[in-house]
Amino acid sequence: MIWHITKRELYDNLISLRFALATFLLFGLMLTNAVVYLREHPERMQKYHDDVTEAQNELSTRTHLYDIAVHGPGSLYKKPSVLQFCAEGGDVFLSDRVFGGFLHWQDGNLTGFWSTLYHYPNPDSKNIRPDTIKVDWGFVIGYVLSLIAILFTFDSISGDREHGTLRLTLANAIPRHTVLIGKFLGALVSISVPFTLAVLANLLIISTSSAVQLSTDAWSRLAIIFCIAILYLCLFLALGLLVSSLVQRNAASLVILLLTWVVFVVFMPSTLAPITSGFSKPMGHYEYTQRRSKLHEQLKSEYEARVQNMDAFPSKKMELAGEFVMNDVAQRINLGQEYVSQQHAQIQLMRSVTRISPVAIVQHLFESFAGSGFERHRHFVENVQRYAREYREFVMDMDRSDPDSPHIIGVREGMSQKPVNPESIPIFEDRLSLSHDFNAAAIDLFLLVLFLVVLLSGAYLAFVRIDV
Amino acid sequence: MLKTLIRRELLNNLMTFRFAAVMLITLLLVVANTAVLIQDYEQRVESYNDAVKIHYEGLRKVKTYSTMYLFVDRAPNPLSIFNVGLDKRLGNLIGIWHGFVPTLWDTEMHGTDNPFIAFFSSIDIVFIFEVVLSLMGLIFAYDAIAGERERGTLRLVLAQPVRRGQILLAKYISAMLCLLVPLILSLLLALLLLIRSIPLSPADFFRIGSIVFASFAYLSLFYLIGMLISVATRRTGTALMLAMFVWGFLILVYPNLIRATINPGGNIQERVNTVNNQVQRIVDEYERDRKKFLENEGIAEGSRFHEVLGLYTQASVDSANMMSYIENLTNISEIPPDFERYVSVAKRYFDFVEPLTIRTTERVWFIRKQALDDIFVRQATMDRILLRLSPVGMYDAATQTLAGTDLLGLRDFFEATRRYRKIVIDYFYAKRAFGSREWFAADKGAVDWSTFPEFVFERSDFSVNAARALPDLFLLIICNLVLFMGILLIFTKSEV
Repeated sequence: MIWHITKRELYDNLISLRFALATFLLFGLMLTNAVVYLREHPERMQKYHDDVTEAQNELSTRTHLYDIAVHGPGSLYKKPSVLQFCAEGGDVFLSDRVFGGFLHWQDGNLTGFWSTLYHYPNPDSKNIRPDTIKVDWGFVIGYVLSLIAILFTFDSISGDREHGTLRLTLANAIPRHTVLIGKFLGALVSISVPFTLAVLANLLIISTSSAVQLSTDAWSRLAIIFCIAILYLCLFLALGLLVSSLVQRNAASLVILLLTWVVFVVFMPSTLAPITSGFSKPMGHYEYTQRRSKLHEQLKSEYEARVQNMDAFPSKKMELAGEFVMNDVAQRINLGQEYVSQQHAQIQLMRSVTRISPVAIVQHLFESFAGSGFERHRHFVENVQRYAREYREFVMDMDRSDPDSPHIIGVREGMSQKPVNPESIPIFEDRLSLSHDFNAAAIDLFLLVLFLVVLLSGAYLAFVRIDV
Repeated sequence: MLKTLIRRELLNNLMTFRFAAVMLITLLLVVANTAVLIQDYEQRVESYNDAVKIHYEGLRKVKTYSTMYLFVDRAPNPLSIFNVGLDKRLGNLIGIWHGFVPTLWDTEMHGTDNPFIAFFSSIDIVFIFEVVLSLMGLIFAYDAIAGERERGTLRLVLAQPVRRGQILLAKYISAMLCLLVPLILSLLLALLLLIRSIPLSPADFFRIGSIVFASFAYLSLFYLIGMLISVATRRTGTALMLAMFVWGFLILVYPNLIRATINPGGNIQERVNTVNNQVQRIVDEYERDRKKFLENEGIAEGSRFHEVLGLYTQASVDSANMMSYIENLTNISEIPPDFERYVSVAKRYFDFVEPLTIRTTERVWFIRKQALDDIFVRQATMDRILLRLSPVGMYDAATQTLAGTDLLGLRDFFEATRRYRKIVIDYFYAKRAFGSREWFAADKGAVDWSTFPEFVFERSDFSVNAARALPDLFLLIICNLVLFMGILLIFTKSEV
């Protein structure tokens, strides 16, 4: 029986104007997405490879352990995700690298060690083009597909009621939930068909291009993203059915749905985010630099006071200098981490509050699985921090393994003089892991399912209890 | 007759559910967001004030003229609450200094600047109106004719001695009167909130008034689009679907799509390279003149002269972003006794080299400015032109210009900073600072900054902004007229 109703709904929909318009819209958007992506992605990859090669070449020119410790590995680059067409995730606003190595002060004959530096220059700060949303899957699904879902379901119950066909249907011995499920499935299938086709066309263009290689990992991520999209679609279909069965007339149903959609999809994320941003005030860049130089000055004056009458004991003086350099680098790293974590905490809070809006949830999910956006950036920064530790440990180990070295790290004369094989220096590799992304996405996934269950049961209750 | 028709339509519109719903949502959104926007504005003002204070004190600490580095801060525009435009973009902190002429792109940000905040899209009142007013217009219009035709009332009305144009006009006027209620009411509430916390000048009220007018034209445009659909279709269902998809396309899809597909970048790298070469030549010339002067004075490279002055001269071109620096910094506070014989040479040197620096930087600025305009402004202008194919683009451009947060508004500010730089340089000339001992040494007393000129900036007059916004406003009005004519034509020709 369900199948019967579904089929009827499907036939009704297939010949309707909205079906044609929706198909046209979805195809247009998905094809544009693919074309734009194919134009931009190779450039992005090329830039990344150039940058990384340059950094590695520079790294391999150094053989002295002290130089390696001072100059460090230079900037560290974030690998652009191959799935950027799914979710662009505001990557234009994010730095594609963590700087490092530029900040070495010079005092007398001492030089500071390399450490990472978190002043992200906003790559978009010179842009004066009008503000728009990037046309990625996140946009197509989050905004357009949800609107289509509403336009397909707003009259599914109330329309039948207006025409009187609902009474006819229910006069047969059909349980009400069967009717509801049939209608739900009918709408779902009739939207999924053009949507799936549009997605396939999009993927066909992208995967046949020689410029992009999609790995198995990428395909499984795409499958997950597609499932999330269908879940999200179900959410709005359920909302449509709920409102449609609560309201007597088509027009009222549509007005309520549209206004709900506008509030939750268009306005909620951008209104809630600035409200929440006021709750925490992270350290500004000015304060950060001020504190950094103050800490450095303090340490320096302490060192100068202690080193003053030590000219007679050169080895002791060297030890002190080494201690000074190492303390300085340690406190700079701590401060840098504090600076970044405060910024991240503010954004984290903003993101969690915007989760009231389903579009924010689905965009977070897409970003997690497409490997772009804020979560990914945070992961990247963590990777960099881990690598920086590894790098410092490598310097320590190299020094420790040299029996001739005086083991005073921080001064040129105090460190191993043996040339270092450039190939043994650890190399930064930025990688994604699906399990990590699943962990990051767990809350969002849970919330999405929760919303869906609530709306579906709401629609069920509303439909079971209505008068026809 | 027209009066009766209008009264009937007005009552029909006012007593509907959609009117109540639309009213509620508009008020809610506008008021809630105004509160948020005011809070945001106040934060920005606070960080602006902090920055001004820091820079004021920073200048007073400087002991010699040559080490002066002056910062000018851009205050947030109170009307950015209506249309934020570029107000939060580009930098708001500009370094003023005789060795460099800033362009729009040589700025930094003051204040707590979490760079990640950028990816939460910022909202303003015009954005709310863009979405809500257009939706309102279409929801009220889709069944204006088609509904009456379906119910058969259209036939009844036309049986009376009424002209068809009158019916259309009555519908239009009554719907507009109706829709103006939420628009005006929400704006009044927003203004009430605004006045309590932000001081507005009388000119600002004119600007806000013009923004209301633009909003009205925008609303009416969407109502007419809805009416066109309603006249052209036979059934309300079809009209509704068409209207909704048109809305989705014009508001949601088109503006984003056009920005994604159009990429009028051209070969930027090549342009950057030519500019860098040109600038490099100018900078080389400068270096040659400078060295020649020193040679004539009989001072060799690396001599005691350089050593004592700690002369840090750098004339370089940064190929990544077309920046070029010419710096002649020297920061000594005392002069050793054996240097006294050099003092007169040093004075002559700076008296020669600093005016040369000023001339050179101005030449460099001219070249850079043109290139940067080519690279950044051309793209943006292209986008804006294409965006105007959707009413959103016209409305956004008009209100941005009226609020003064558009590119021209920012340009005004940069012109002011450039003028200020000239004033500072004139001040130096008047004080004979370049040839003075205080230029490079502070041993005979630090520089007195008390008479130093202050930076002032007034936003341009309302009339200037209005003149800039006129083309877009005209465009909106013309679109309205054309649509109305079209509707009239179709309606008079159609069968009932």
